[in-house]
This record gives sequence, C-alpha cells and structure tokens, in this order.
Amino acid sequence: MLSRSAAGLYWMGRYLERAGHLCRLLKQQAESLVDSPPRDIYFGWHRIYGALQRGPQTGTLEFDNDDLFTIVDSFTLADDLTFEPTNPDSVRSCFAEGRENARQMRHHISAEMWTYLNRSHLRLQNLEIGDIWVRSPENFYAETAAEIDTFRGVTATTLYRDNAWHFLQLGGHVERTQLSASLLIAQITAVRLFEVPADAYWTSLLRHYYAFEAYNRASSTAIEPDRILDLLVTNSQLPDSLSLSVEGLCHELEAVGRGPDERSTERTRRQAELVRRLVGDEWPGNAARRALLRDIRNACRRLHRFVTETYFDYPVEVPSERKVGGFDQ
Amino acid sequence: MKFDSYDLNPSIYDEMFGSDGSPRPHSTNLYETLDNLTPAELGAIGDWVTRSFTNEGITFTVYGDDEETERIIPIDSIPRVMSAGEWAGLKAGLVQRLTALNRFLADIYSEARIITDGVIPADMIRDCPQYRLEMRGFRAPRGVWVAICGTDLVRTNDGFKVLEDNLRVPSGVSYMLAIRKATKSAHRLLYRRSRVRDIEYYGLLLAETLRELAPDGRSDPTMALLTPGTYNSAFYEHMFLARQIGADLVEGRDLLVEDGYVYMRTTSGLKRVDVIYRRVDDDFLDPLVFRPDSLLGVPGLLHAARLGNVSVINAPGTGVADDKSVYAFVPDMIRYYLGAEPLLDNVETYLCRRPEDLEYTLDNLDKLVVKRVGESGGYGMLIGPASTPAERNEFAASLRADPADYISQPTLALSRSPCLIEDRIEPRHVDLRPFILTGRKTRIVPGAFCRIALRRGSLVVNSSQGGGGKDFWVLED
Repeated sequence: MLSRSAAGLYWMGRYLERAGHLCRLLKQQAESLVDSPPRDIYFGWHRIYGALQRGPQTGTLEFDNDDLFTIVDSFTLADDLTFEPTNPDSVRSCFAEGRENARQMRHHISAEMWTYLNRSHLRLQNLEIGDIWVRSPENFYAETAAEIDTFRGVTATTLYRDNAWHFLQLGGHVERTQLSASLLIAQITAVRLFEVPADAYWTSLLRHYYAFEAYNRASSTAIEPDRILDLLVTNSQLPDSLSLSVEGLCHELEAVGRGPDERSTERTRRQAELVRRLVGDEWPGNAARRALLRDIRNACRRLHRFVTETYFDYPVEVPSERKVGGFDQ
Repeated sequence: MKFDSYDLNPSIYDEMFGSDGSPRPHSTNLYETLDNLTPAELGAIGDWVTRSFTNEGITFTVYGDDEETERIIPIDSIPRVMSAGEWAGLKAGLVQRLTALNRFLADIYSEARIITDGVIPADMIRDCPQYRLEMRGFRAPRGVWVAICGTDLVRTNDGFKVLEDNLRVPSGVSYMLAIRKATKSAHRLLYRRSRVRDIEYYGLLLAETLRELAPDGRSDPTMALLTPGTYNSAFYEHMFLARQIGADLVEGRDLLVEDGYVYMRTTSGLKRVDVIYRRVDDDFLDPLVFRPDSLLGVPGLLHAARLGNVSVINAPGTGVADDKSVYAFVPDMIRYYLGAEPLLDNVETYLCRRPEDLEYTLDNLDKLVVKRVGESGGYGMLIGPASTPAERNEFAASLRADPADYISQPTLALSRSPCLIEDRIEPRHVDLRPFILTGRKTRIVPGAFCRIALRRGSLVVNSSQGGGGKDFWVLED
C-alpha cells in the first residue's frame, strides 16, 4: 500500500478514536453538571485536561465552590474541548482531521463509510456550544460518541480486509492505548489532588469504559480503586481495556506485514511486545501503578514513532543526477 | 401545468420542445412525467438530488475562495434526453476528430509534415505556448498521445458544433457518473420506462484503456493516478477515478525515478509503476524538464517515459492540439490525415493574429465572443452582447497589444433545456462534454457531463463561474 495512504488511514483511525474518547469523557462531565457538587465537577475537568496533557485555552481549572461560577467555568471549558477550532484536541478539530484524512483516502474506504462520516461532519460543522448547552449537552456528546461507534460498525461491515483496514485499526489501537494510559494517570493524579475520596470519581471512570456493569458482575458493589484499575488494564473481555487495545495493536502490526527495512520492522515489533509485556506481565501486583502507566504511555509513543519510521517515512536513496538524467537536446 | 409559462424562443434550439411547441418524440416520457408531478413532488426530487451530492461530499474547489474550499456543484434534477440515432452521429464525429488529433500530435512532434505541406502555418505552432519542444522525437505508447479526451459540444439551430477539445487533463467525468446515480434514483420509474443507456461501466473502460497503453511486457501493470493534491479543484474526481480503476492515488512526493524506472513508496518498499494517469499540468510534471520550481511533479519522469518504461497519460505536449488558435485547423487536420470531411463542425473562428481577422473582431466586439488562447474555465473571455462599453474598450486595447493571444467567434445561441429553478421549470443554456477513450481502440460511453448556465440568459456554463450540471440520457433504439 502507498505509504502516504497508509499514513492517512492510520491518522484517520487515531483522530476518530480521540474524538470518540473525548465525547465519552465530556458526556460523563455534562451529566455531572446536573447534580454533582462543584468539587466533583472540577475533579472531572482536571481529569479530562490531565488526560489530554494540556491546560485550557480559555477558562480556568481553579476550584470554586460557588455553583454559578462552576457552571460558567464549565460552559467555557466545554466550548474549549468541543468546538474551539484552534484547540487541536477539541472534538470538532479531531473530527475534522479524521474526516479530512478520510476525504483524502476516499478511494481506500467504502462509500458507506465516507457517506456516514460526512453526514456526521455536516451535522457538527455548524453547531456552537450555545446550541447544545441549553437543552442537553450530554445527549449531544452521547450522540456524537454513538455516531463514531456506528462508524466503526459500518467500517467493520463494509471495508475490505486489506492494509487499508489494518492501518486504520492500528491507528485506532495505538491511540486508544495511549489515551487509556493517559486517562488512568490523570485519574490517579486528580484523586490525589482533590484528596477527598469519592466513589463518583471512580464510577464515572467505569462508565467511560462501558465497564460499570462488568465491574459489578465481577466484584462486590463496593468501589475499590485498585480493583477498578486492574479491570480496566488487564481484563481481556472489556472492549476498551488496555490489555485488549494492546492485543489489537500487536495483531494489526503483524497483519500489515514487514516494512522495507528488516531491522526497522523488528524494532517496531519488539516495541509492541514491550507494551504487551508491561500491560500483561508487569501490571499484576505492581504497587507503582502510576509509574508503570507512564512507562506504558511512553512505550506507546515510541511505538508510534517506530511505526512511522518503518512504514511511512522510511529513508529512500535519492536518485543521483547521473541516474535520473535529462534529455539530449 | 408546469410548462404553461415556459419561455420558448424559436431562435434558440430547445432540447425538449420542437419549433411547434410540442415535445420532441424522445422527450415525451420526460415531459409527461414532469407535467404530472405536483410542485411539491417536483421540489422533493430536486432536494433529493442536491442532498445526495451534499451527503456524499461531491465537491469541487474554487481557487481563491478562502471561506469555502469545498463546494457542491449545483445539480439540476431534470435530465436532458437524446435519441439513439442522434447519439450515433455524434459518436462517429467524436471518434473521427480524436483520431485526427492523435495523428496530428504524432506528426507535429516528429516530421511535422502538416507544416511542410502548408496546411498549418509554422508560426502557429511555434508561437503556441503549449507546444513542447522537449517532446520532439517522443514516441507515445501505441502512438496514442491523447487517451482521454473531453470534447465540448454545443447545439444551435444549425446543429451540433465542437466548441473545444480538452486534451490535457479533461475533467467532469466523475460528475457525469455521480449525477447519473442521483438522478436515476430520483426518477426511478421514469428511468426504467425510458430505457436509458448505461454509462456506469466507464471506470472499466478507462482501466482497460490504460492497461492497453502499458509498457510492453507489463501484462498486469501497476497503475497510479497522479494528482496535484487535495487542494486541486478536481481532487474529488481524482479520488473517484483512482477508485474506479483500482489505481493508487499518488502525489509527486510519493514517486521517484531510479535507473529510468518510476517507483512509488509503499509500506513494503519501492514498487514499480507502469502507467501514470496524470492529472497534473505539463508545466508541473517534471521539474528537470519543465518548470524547475515545481513541487508537484516527479524529477526524471519524462526520461522514464521516453525510455518506454512508464506510460504517462495523456502524454505531455498534447495541449498544442487544444490551443484555441490551433482549434481552427482541426477540420483541415481531418481532411489531411484521414482524407474525409469532418462529421462535426467547428465554430467559425477568427484568428486575431491575422490582420483582417483582427480588424473584423475590433469592428464587431459587441457581437462576438473573444477568448484568450491560453485561458480556460470561462476566464479571460469577453461575451460581446453582454459586455459594457468599458469592458469592450479594455479588450480592444489588449487585442491591439497582443493580437496573437486572441481568437474571436460569433456569439452562439446555445440550445436550452428545461431546468428546475426554485419551484418553476425554466429553460437554461446547456452544453455537453462527452468523454472519449483511446487505447488499442476508441471507446465512448453513451453519456456526457451536461453543463448548464444557471443564471437566466447566461451562456457561461463553467462550474467555477456559477454553472451547474444535469444528467444526460441517451435512449435505446
């Protein structure tokens, strides 16, 4: 497959994964605005921005116990994370980037995928925070997240299983692994920052991962942070667990085949194995969980770099003038 | 009744109605269907067609329009209809014309017999900016310089005429196919009843044509469509066609030339490319040969093509044959190379490089259409009857300063076809761009991109100038 096409599909997978992830976080956050105390709401904003590893472009994360200020701040922060075009991590920006990559790679994806994605894009394009805020912002985020999930379904149903599929999936898995590790780090950090332990901090995390019912089935109903982290990291049946994301990543890397350079291919595969080992072998029983999550995130970032160097931007011998030649005139 | 206030003007050919005001035989079905629709049904059909283009993101780009880079081409939901017999006549004329043009290109870049025999003046070719000295001695694959041609046809009360031949990177075929898909779905019963000839196999014909032109010994050639990139006005079409023919959509930066062969960079290493359907202008194709500052092309591409290791389609240098001055000589080319009379007429053309033609043009600026030879897309043009005195003065000054840069033609009363304008059916001027493919043989699907001038009275059909498109149905016998 053409390297630039593979890169476009890989990034399409990454951006749409990011948009979906953020929508789900914002849905939790918008729900908390209905009935949670200001402290929990600020906790939520800290967790989101911590997961993105950035601060807000506008608005503040500084805790204010006043209800009105909390809502006003939340309006500004939600706008920053949802529609702000200059914020590269906003839902609109991620969606637009994902859609732009899809537009450029339309010849590799199915017509159904494109039409579905384009319709969602047209819906998002003209919305502003005021349009969603007054009635039910959580519905907007839920709908948008569901559209991205549906898009995944359309993809699974219609896309031929060639390298277009594999690079698209690889991008999604790399992004999900990185985002998951970041979110869990942000969760631990925010819990420490806000000192007062609250079950709500952890149940909203479970809901973000669609893991609330699974946790209740596997555990007592008591909220135990370590058990929650174990579930989200190592469970091999939870669709968004770190473990399953890493398995997907390794599988897709195998499926895309070898790059042009043997050593580079091996290096990339070894790096994927390292991520798998960190999640699979080193996690259970490890007390320094935050440090290990950082290792996972960093290893995943390196993996992204190696994928890029192996398949997209590998060095090619530039033809010399002698070889290229010109015309005899 | 939908057509009660329809403006029939006897001096302008109407595609649906004869001079007595009754529907032409091949349009009867369409007429009756439209006439029986309620305004709401008619509007719903129009909305459906537009919405399907919006949802599918079928766009073009208008340069210099910062606010809206992707624009949906306006589509009219009422098809233009033609009988099988009339189409057969057009097809024969189009094949004849392209055959002669290919012979002309092979000749002009080798022995140039047509010049030595005095059919075309040497300075006409020498002064043409699209004549590429660099292509002299080049042997096009299977002798085919132009494999993909889009010929613009207009109809007047005197019959069809060729307005221009697009021989470099003709565009619009994706709209032809996308409009068909939307219109067919909007007029399901009418479509079935009318027995419209299929055009949807165009992609297969194009792929077959390109494969036939692959270098010798490459029976399963790797094909690529070379695009200037996502900001090009026709990017949607490039993507669409790459998909139709199963080719990779490449940019110049994806390709490199080594040892006289072209390779593309893939995830598993370099892969040889055999056929390049280029949608990049000559100037930008190879910085070692044409514009050295081009970032869109591939250094060494022409060298590889000269060696016969890659087929570049259409060949560089074909623009000399669709130059607006050279156009005037196409009927002579047909007589010279094929020994036959042209089956399709040209529009009468005055070459302002000739003093008598210049004088005539200057004296009749208010009646003529004046065009710059190097411009396209409806730019650099004066439509005399619609111009102001100031515009005519400005053009007159330009004509005097550089007469060789202009041609003029009589203002044609282009035929009109019924269009849905808001909630009424009104006539609008139309043209027709069929696409002709030449590999080992010449093929044409029975269809065309029918362009419409959406503004009342306007003759400009270009999409960049407010034009739109509609489906064009050729009926079975």
